[in-house]
Amino acid sequence: MNRREFLDMVYKMLVVAGGVNFFSYEELLALESGEIEKPDIIWLHAMSCDGCSTSLLNSEVSVLDIITRFANVIFHPTIMAGTGENSLEILEKYKSNNLIMVLEGSIPLDMPHACMMGERYIEEWVELVAKEANLAIGAGTCAVFNGITDMEGMSTGACTLRYFLEEKGFKTPVVNLPTCPMKPHHFLYTLFYYIKHRTTPPVDMEFRPKRFFTNTVHDRCVYYSDYQEKIFAKNIGDRGCLFKLGCQGPVTSSDCVKSEGDFDRFNCIKSGHPCIGCGSENFPRKIMFKRSDDERELKKYKSFTRI
Amino acid sequence: MSKKIVIDPITRIEGHLKVEIEVEDGQVSEAKCSADMYRGLEKALKGYDYLTAIHITQRTCGCCPYAHAEAAALAIENALGIELNKNGKLLRNMTIGAYKLKDYLLHFYTLSSLDFLDITAILKYKGSNANMNQLREWVKKEINSKAVFPSALFLQRYKAAYIENDKLNITLIEHYLEAFEMMREIDKMVKIFGAKSPHMVAIEAGGITTRPTAERLLEYIATAKKAKEFINNKYLKDVLKVAKEFKEYFKIGKGVDNFLTFNTLLNLDGSYEFVEGFSKNFEFEDKIDPYEIVEYHDYAYYKKEGGFKPLELEELEPLNRQEFESQDKKYSWSKAPRYKGSVVEVGPSAQVINTYLSGKNQKLNEMVDKLNKELDISIKDYNSVMGRHLSRVIVSNLIIDKLLEDAFRVDEGELGFVPLQEVPSNAKGIGLTEATRGALAHFIDIGDNGYIRNYEMVVPTTWNISPKDDKDISGALESMLKGTKIKDEKNPIEIARVIRSTDPCLACAVH
Repeated sequence: MNRREFLDMVYKMLVVAGGVNFFSYEELLALESGEIEKPDIIWLHAMSCDGCSTSLLNSEVSVLDIITRFANVIFHPTIMAGTGENSLEILEKYKSNNLIMVLEGSIPLDMPHACMMGERYIEEWVELVAKEANLAIGAGTCAVFNGITDMEGMSTGACTLRYFLEEKGFKTPVVNLPTCPMKPHHFLYTLFYYIKHRTTPPVDMEFRPKRFFTNTVHDRCVYYSDYQEKIFAKNIGDRGCLFKLGCQGPVTSSDCVKSEGDFDRFNCIKSGHPCIGCGSENFPRKIMFKRSDDERELKKYKSFTRI
Repeated sequence: MSKKIVIDPITRIEGHLKVEIEVEDGQVSEAKCSADMYRGLEKALKGYDYLTAIHITQRTCGCCPYAHAEAAALAIENALGIELNKNGKLLRNMTIGAYKLKDYLLHFYTLSSLDFLDITAILKYKGSNANMNQLREWVKKEINSKAVFPSALFLQRYKAAYIENDKLNITLIEHYLEAFEMMREIDKMVKIFGAKSPHMVAIEAGGITTRPTAERLLEYIATAKKAKEFINNKYLKDVLKVAKEFKEYFKIGKGVDNFLTFNTLLNLDGSYEFVEGFSKNFEFEDKIDPYEIVEYHDYAYYKKEGGFKPLELEELEPLNRQEFESQDKKYSWSKAPRYKGSVVEVGPSAQVINTYLSGKNQKLNEMVDKLNKELDISIKDYNSVMGRHLSRVIVSNLIIDKLLEDAFRVDEGELGFVPLQEVPSNAKGIGLTEATRGALAHFIDIGDNGYIRNYEMVVPTTWNISPKDDKDISGALESMLKGTKIKDEKNPIEIARVIRSTDPCLACAVH
């Protein structure tokens, strides 16, 4: 792929992600050639599974392209060549006035020793980086709603990035990108919006970009008309709305089914599986997928205390 | 006089790992591996519906979620006596197998190759590959920019003896970049039947919920062919070239000669592509008993000490902050699992060694024999840094062939999913499989009304990065590190190479 083809591809992706409203092709060229300043990115892992990193690694515009063409990723534990001290040196000494911090995973408030790096609690690193950051991105459901790190019976006291920054008195603007894992085009949209406007894209009350999280999965579902006509699937593989199999589409905001191009080719609903609500504040629910005649009450548990 | 060296964080692995070594006369005399993250997933599953285990345990890890999904599904199927139909078996192989391939490429290229190749060789690149030119120009510009850390992500690294042959460096860098594209392609193979990746939703107890339409099958096969070409022609050759450059690494990083494996990739005749077993000093036993696993807590940050069998503990009590800060015996969140009292290594080397010793997969034995001849090594040398890299590429070559065979056997349009049974009560099951990083076991105890009463996961990296047990015997990686010679204490690349050869996955290890 030559440079032009590559940039065409990136632009196509921006079209899909909704970035063309504010980012022109000429600006993309200028950014790539260095005429527009590239932001620095520091990527930290708190109580996470690396799933959001993996998700971005497999994106159409790979993380490597982001590193070398559209931003300077200066710290990312899974990609960087450095090891041990020489990697931490970057965090300690790097100065930037155009820094985006990305946090994957939640922060263990009650048990800080449940997540450590370089023999220090992870919250100390988050604080250190947040001091420099112009924008903080919560990547994935754990960083946004605590997700699977705040299930009933857990004792780490997981808190979200936004909660942590507020508690510590930081005014850093936050963008939340839930779904488990985070979707690459949500990240790219946020990155390009920041590059252009030096601020967050329009967000809702949960600090999620309105562009992706205004509608529920259900609103745009391919089975929406079946739902209205009350045609429900009884088993996997039947025709009809998956609501009775436990589908959480109606209470989960995201653009899973609606997004266009390559992003919409494969998704949970199209694979015949009900939505498990991975982008929702209720994730994980106590019952996700069930028989249509299952009469058990759909219990939910979430502390909702440190979001 | 011994000197203590702490390496923290170990980057280019999954998760938070600290390694502390003591060096005496340039040789490691003592090693401690500390897993630095705890979430408490398995016991938190109590009170959740049994089917949620598949989705929640996947989120243990974003690098190998498929294995947890499979193990949880197998445990449920074992508890309820569910047998998959033909398409269910095939499609499950095709989804988890593809994910394994992606992981192996990720490990060799993204995570490990920077320890061997010299990234600065990019400055000498003169070819016409657009990505390579892009990388070269970027590095050049960064170096000239007088930044504190030019190209921090790549150039801030150990000063060490990397590959000197420029041609080889350039080839490896080219493939390093190409591997990203290839992983993206293979990721598509996962998504075709798994719906999304990571954290596939379509793997359920009973099979795969995605209907195998002709369109999906054709796309899968076309992509698998591309992957096959990359694995046969580039991945294999690159590993062999690196192995020849670093021949001494067939003798470095040797751990205990005990290997544990579980069955994985089911064939339609009921046999498995890679087989279960336990080998001690290269004597192979083909039967295993998962209840012979005992996990010791003596050096792990939990209140209760001693050893526990799977499902024996109902609660896991972590140390609180005060207790954590006021003690110095315990040093890891990881427990210390032992099989029949032995420290064992799990992972691709174990898979190759055990399957080779079992003689049950002729193709594997032929390939191993051929490569051993070419490299002048024996099966015993697979217990080493290079042996582990070589094992992954052997396993990958066999998997891609199997996936293609399986894809052609699928009955187009037939759902590979057995309908859910009624909500079960009081049932126990075990799910054993082989993850990218080794033998994985899930144990489920379903109580009343389908809600989980107890859950246990014994995970590959727990075996490998295990701390000491009740008898003060070091874990697998710790014993691999002992005896390793270090040239430069400020740049202990040898240690990094040994650690990364086991592909540690810390989020899994502690869960």
